[in-house]
Amino acid sequence: MANSIARTLNPGRRVPLNGTQGHTASVARSLGWIALPWLVPVACAVLWMLGSHYGWISPQILPSPALVFDTLGGLASSGELWMHIGASLSRIAVGFTGGVVLGLLLGAWLGLSRTAEAYILPSFNAVVQVPVLGWLPFLMIVVGIGEPLKYLLIGHAALVPVTLSTLQGFRRTPPAYLDVARVFRYSRRQTIFNVILPSAVPVIGTGIRLAFTKAWLTLVVVELVASSEGLGYLIVYGRQLFQLDLVLASVLIVGAIGYAADRLLTVLEHKLSPARLA
Amino acid sequence: MATVSVTQTSDLTLHHVTKRFAGDDHSVPVLDRIDLSVKSGEFVAIVGASGCGKSTLLRLVAGLDDQFDGDIEFSGERVRTTDLARGIVFQDHRLFPWLNVEQNIAVALKNSGRSKEENRRAVAEHIALVGLKGYEKHHPHQLSGGMAQRVAIARGLVNRPKLLLLDEPFGALDALTRSRLQNELRRIWEHERITMILVTHDVDEAVFLADRVVVMQARPGRIGKIVKVDLERPRSRSDAAFVRLRDEILADFSVPQDTAAAA
Amino acid sequence: MATPSLELETGSGAITASGEPGKAGGWRGWVIPVAALFAWWFVSRHVVAGHGMMTSPAQVLHTAIDQARSGALWRALSASLARELTGFTLGASLGLVLGALLGVSPFANRLIGPSFNAFKQVSLFAWIPLISVWFGLGDVAKVVFLSLAALVPVVAHTSDGIRAVSPALLDVARVFHYSELQTVRYVVLPAALPSIFTGIYLALIYSWLATLGAEYLLVAGSGIGNTLVDGSEQFRMDLVVFGVIVIGVTGWALNAFARAIQQRWFRDPSA
Repeated sequence: MANSIARTLNPGRRVPLNGTQGHTASVARSLGWIALPWLVPVACAVLWMLGSHYGWISPQILPSPALVFDTLGGLASSGELWMHIGASLSRIAVGFTGGVVLGLLLGAWLGLSRTAEAYILPSFNAVVQVPVLGWLPFLMIVVGIGEPLKYLLIGHAALVPVTLSTLQGFRRTPPAYLDVARVFRYSRRQTIFNVILPSAVPVIGTGIRLAFTKAWLTLVVVELVASSEGLGYLIVYGRQLFQLDLVLASVLIVGAIGYAADRLLTVLEHKLSPARLA
Repeated sequence: MATVSVTQTSDLTLHHVTKRFAGDDHSVPVLDRIDLSVKSGEFVAIVGASGCGKSTLLRLVAGLDDQFDGDIEFSGERVRTTDLARGIVFQDHRLFPWLNVEQNIAVALKNSGRSKEENRRAVAEHIALVGLKGYEKHHPHQLSGGMAQRVAIARGLVNRPKLLLLDEPFGALDALTRSRLQNELRRIWEHERITMILVTHDVDEAVFLADRVVVMQARPGRIGKIVKVDLERPRSRSDAAFVRLRDEILADFSVPQDTAAAA
Repeated sequence: MATPSLELETGSGAITASGEPGKAGGWRGWVIPVAALFAWWFVSRHVVAGHGMMTSPAQVLHTAIDQARSGALWRALSASLARELTGFTLGASLGLVLGALLGVSPFANRLIGPSFNAFKQVSLFAWIPLISVWFGLGDVAKVVFLSLAALVPVVAHTSDGIRAVSPALLDVARVFHYSELQTVRYVVLPAALPSIFTGIYLALIYSWLATLGAEYLLVAGSGIGNTLVDGSEQFRMDLVVFGVIVIGVTGWALNAFARAIQQRWFRDPSA
């Protein structure tokens, strides 16, 4: 009854089980628990392999895993893969870094100056209402389809969350800490660098992580629409030639890089705001 | 006993101090014409039920709030803003989570104008004073409530302020830790002889620590009476004179109906 | 992985000087837009008049009226919105079911959760070419894509919200001998509701974003995104600017609508 809901909703709680538990039974249980996440991916992989092998799935719809890895290997050894990955990574590096730096500066300025906020924030919010992709056609006319298009769009995608989170972090310094700064006669400058900034770091960290997700997303779209190299381009190219193995291989790489970067940023974020900032 | 030469001019005087809520001229004031004098080196406790304005009063004396009528004078000067000579310890320790114990105490010394070496020595001294030697590199989240509060007290003292205000510093701690820290505070005060004003809702604590206990009433916030505590330190809570004084103060807390029932 | 606050995700939180979300206050907010408008008019008229890329406010206004009167605007907008709402409804409903499952059952969460998280990592738009192979370039493909876009945040926030229900509250249910159903209905759901709503709010926004992207990439059919792409290909800046404004206003309207519901019915303590 409520007991079992409690058990299901709180796996950490040890609600006593009826009956005796042999040692081997519990070992098997823990092994099963560890293996569980792999069940779905492995099952999918097996189905995929069998499907292409026995022809249940037409290769036009879904090429065999062997072919996909083959293609991947081919691209890697011919050097093409690295060229495209490099193109994508360099775009994200420039755009993301630029967006983050500008976002930090803008957010800090808006967060510290009520005047700046009153004049600028409403316009900023209005611009934010247009999703990044909405600017794509506009910018295509203005700057063409070269690198600046990518840098601007990716930068914009990163700038918005970073600005907002920095603004939030600066504005929402706990008054308790500000009191302490006043008691010890901190100047405005000292208060900003020694109190406001450190207390804003966790929020800013979250904002930067979110900014990366958006920047990566934007990169992929831009490369799908308007590019002649890069991972997104590979996907479109493969699609146009009906080389789904190429498409799948590229999608895998896109996912892998996105995942790795997000993990990295999450670790960094936790370093910056450990339990100590709870 | 350390000979700290405390001049008469570190006296604190409050004259007709009145505070109302912003924009509220008609309802009952938070503080109503408070008059109080505290001599250098004295230990004064302020007790009263919730809502009597005792914490507000402390903020005014600390200079964290300058919206009030009347005068507050310290060392011959009017109090309108914060000053390093008037320290304060809050109920929530308010240590910066991103700094360790040493650095948190050093927060107080940023504008002290002293040399790095002097500051380092002062921090080490005060860590020893509050009994936290060995914990210099710990972060607040690694400390218990009592230890964190001790760091806050060290931070309040490291500047050698002439006046230390304590706003229910032990309110958030368990009874055992509280009693231990009360002893610490008594020891520190006897050692440093800094003027201390302690706000508390714990009458026992007040009688244990203070030379005088100021009893405040609520609505409007005003001083009911001031009780002198002439007992020798360290005081025993089960001492007859102690108990008598405590009951005398507690009597003032009760609502009129209660006194009739208790009589 | 903590889900970032709603304001950051939607970029819609207008944080005013008082530090609270709400309408931006005062005349000072208008200074920059008005100045920009004036500068635009001035430049288009006097500095680069006749330049192919440049368009004037008057021109955009003219185009806007044109589009509105001819019905093209409404056709495009309604097509986009219809698709978005279809995808959103589909994705959100499925997301609620899946999210609830993942939230309530640690077994399901362990079985499916990690795979779902991995799937989440792949930038959504990367799937479009594949989707176009399997579903073509028309509306079906678009709706499938939009459903995916809506599904992801709903699943994440629903399962997080349910799992975050405080054990303290569940203890109370045990003390009063609530049945499983009662516990879910009277304790778990109400406690998780703000988070669930956040997921739905985000789904609405994400599916709007996805609508645009889908229209760029799956070009069969009509919609406001297509209007933009057409304008861009024909180098008609006035049409593009007009499209951007329409998209901005629609996005704002969606945000405002969702936020109004949130303020009214769901006070999200984590926001």
